[in-house]
Amino acid sequence: MPSTRKFSAPALTALLISAAALQAQSLGPLPTPSALKMMSVEQLMDIEVTSVSKRPEKLSEVASAIQVITADEIRRSGATSIPEALRLASNLEVAQIDSRQWAISARGFNNVFADKMLVLIDGRSVYTPLYAGVYWDVQDTMLEDLDRIEVISGPGATQWGANAVNGVINITTKSAKDTQGSLVTTGVGSQLRSTAAARYGGELAPGVFYRVYAKYFDRGDSVRPNGNKSNDSWRVGQVGFRVDWDRTSADQITLQGDGYDGTEGQVGPDTIRANGANLLGRWTRQLAENSDLKVQLYYDRTHRRIPGSFTQNIDTYDLDFQHHRPLGAAHDLVWGLGYRLVNDGVVNTPTNAFLPPRVKHQWFSGFLQDEIALARDQLHLTVGTKVERNDYTGFELQPSARLAWRPDKTQTVWSALSRAVRTPSRIDRDLFSPATPPYRISGGKNVVSETLLAAELGYRVQIEPSLALSLATFYNSYDNLRSLEPLSPPLAFPVVASSGLYGHSRGAEFSADWRVSPRWKLHAGWNELRVSSEPQTGTIDRSTRDSIARDPNHQVFLRSSLNLSTRWDFDSDLRYIAPIGNQNLPGYTEADLRFGWRPSAPWELSLDAQNLLHAHHPEFNSPGSRREIQRGVYGKATWRF
Amino acid sequence: MAVLKPRSRHLWFAWLLVVAVLSAAPPAKISPEYAYKAGLLSKLDQFVEWPARAFRDAQSPLVIGVLGEDPFDSYLDELVLGEKIGERSIIVRRFRQGDDVADCHILFISRSEAGQFEKIISALAGHSVLTVGEDDGFEHAGGIVRFAVEGGKIRLRINPDAAKAADLTISSKLLRLATLVTKEKG
Repeated sequence: MPSTRKFSAPALTALLISAAALQAQSLGPLPTPSALKMMSVEQLMDIEVTSVSKRPEKLSEVASAIQVITADEIRRSGATSIPEALRLASNLEVAQIDSRQWAISARGFNNVFADKMLVLIDGRSVYTPLYAGVYWDVQDTMLEDLDRIEVISGPGATQWGANAVNGVINITTKSAKDTQGSLVTTGVGSQLRSTAAARYGGELAPGVFYRVYAKYFDRGDSVRPNGNKSNDSWRVGQVGFRVDWDRTSADQITLQGDGYDGTEGQVGPDTIRANGANLLGRWTRQLAENSDLKVQLYYDRTHRRIPGSFTQNIDTYDLDFQHHRPLGAAHDLVWGLGYRLVNDGVVNTPTNAFLPPRVKHQWFSGFLQDEIALARDQLHLTVGTKVERNDYTGFELQPSARLAWRPDKTQTVWSALSRAVRTPSRIDRDLFSPATPPYRISGGKNVVSETLLAAELGYRVQIEPSLALSLATFYNSYDNLRSLEPLSPPLAFPVVASSGLYGHSRGAEFSADWRVSPRWKLHAGWNELRVSSEPQTGTIDRSTRDSIARDPNHQVFLRSSLNLSTRWDFDSDLRYIAPIGNQNLPGYTEADLRFGWRPSAPWELSLDAQNLLHAHHPEFNSPGSRREIQRGVYGKATWRF
Repeated sequence: MAVLKPRSRHLWFAWLLVVAVLSAAPPAKISPEYAYKAGLLSKLDQFVEWPARAFRDAQSPLVIGVLGEDPFDSYLDELVLGEKIGERSIIVRRFRQGDDVADCHILFISRSEAGQFEKIISALAGHSVLTVGEDDGFEHAGGIVRFAVEGGKIRLRINPDAAKAADLTISSKLLRLATLVTKEKG
């Protein structure tokens, strides 16, 4: 008799947890039965279930302050966007500024444009070279297609390059092979006013899998402290595709692309228009068990028109090559080369101007990293450096040394020393206000790279299969941080951008994962952070040191994921964010709740409440420009077939 | 909790209380390896066809048996709970050495039974039972499916001759993912 289970199609396509990075550390977290149910046989066979005698391929991912957010955790968190999902990483500061803007950083210096975090989506950098930072409003995909998000706090510059100063957020989507079949999801609510998305995955030819998707959302306003709406509701539509071809068991080819278009409200009658598209191709080849090659090429276009401010068009072309191979028994080498070309065109307004309006910049980079087994399976040293050339400051060197000691299979003690830089962006060099002389604010032709020297010490332990703890501590010393200096003191204006500040930060990131039972998982996170900055000798800074770092001293997170039955999920989380002193921002506690119900295999219904404890609360900025985030409730239905 | 205001402290406490009341199960004593193996075991039925005579009628359940020490804790039970194949539900039963296991449709033979494989398997001759084991040589001893761990990952090794002898049809989809072991190869 045929015994194909009706739910096997979704099971083959569905969500998976893929904590491969943590699995490599011998004992990964226990998957929940409901997560296992969603995994296909192929996926189950792709997880590293035991420690492998060969060294984990990415030691840096383990012997560093990394947190991995899995697809299952994103689904169960009720997050409706990538920034919301990032709240799951307790080593990040995530502050929602208004309805569409977010300030996200690790290890301090958080700001509207947090310029010390590098963010990649499937290997494509989304750090904007114009403004230095990430436009979070247009970084989106089908959340159901996310594979995982790795959040590395601490410098990752040796491998990732410039601007990976305070951390790296690495977002990856699933292979098209793992998103076969149809998925339709729709939701309505108070803040997320409406959303709809559909995806279809199929097989073009044997071994060639594809998916296409389309999504749309409409989000409501944030409010002013007095409760009035602040006219920043927004809506974005996005389409995309991904093709994965397993040409042979050793060759994998990926082609993917996205396009989006959105309109966003702002103060004043005109709306912001943001759209863009990208196309990426990647070829990876397994040369031997420990050796592989990767070639990646992408094109990315972003357009944004901010009425009354400026209009930008940025075209980015990027080529990357990476080769990984062992050398003898004790060395594991990774090296790579990269080239990037950016065509950046701005249409200025009388208010402010990027001068010259059109620029073309090139970046060349190379890196070499060697992981040396000093004592097999116990002591590893990873040393390497990135050498990068940019048009502003010439050559930049970003070396690091990282030592990992594993006294046994359940513990890792690690330590690292690194240098990282944030290279100047157009906002540092080219921004003038107003658009014609006399300028009140001038771009600084002498702005140099911000440099960081970072010392880290961390400890991870798997006390038993169900309980894992991690502690990372750091001391960061910054030089040449961006300042604004008066040209004719004591007059406050005009000012010119410069590199006149020192900075220091220190802190600790603690996290605990406890599988209380197969049905119940708890996560706790605790961050302590102290940031300070002061002018270099002979510098008069006007950038108000208060504005470059807007960080709470403490953050505490608690999350619970509970399977009430195989059909019912109950997830809850609480976060406490301490006051941000230099913004006179009070501390706050907020909670999210989610009930998920799977009445039958293809269907999933959920009821989500976000920021449940207050009608509205502020998370960022000083009182004058402050917006507050409203409580949100939404319901969502997902159908897989 | 010193950093929290009193009001927040109450919230934390209330939250902890709520989640604590909602679940009071003991900690799981299971490694990730066996959680994933349980996942695989619970999905094998999707790729296997049993002869009609292996079931009493269209409603009778599909039985997954675990012979010997159960390494899966409650995982296997949770995984099959509520799952159906057509009108059949799936149930998990546990057996000790000497029990009659011929009514199982899938039988996982635990490592605790090492050395007894040939005896257990020969007793199943003439019954359509998909035997699953873990030890080296299980598939050569007449077992049908072995969960082997290679390179840290779970690999399937399948003995198609043994499946045929048990009148079981294993779908090509599963066979493609497995290493096939035939007598010629030894």
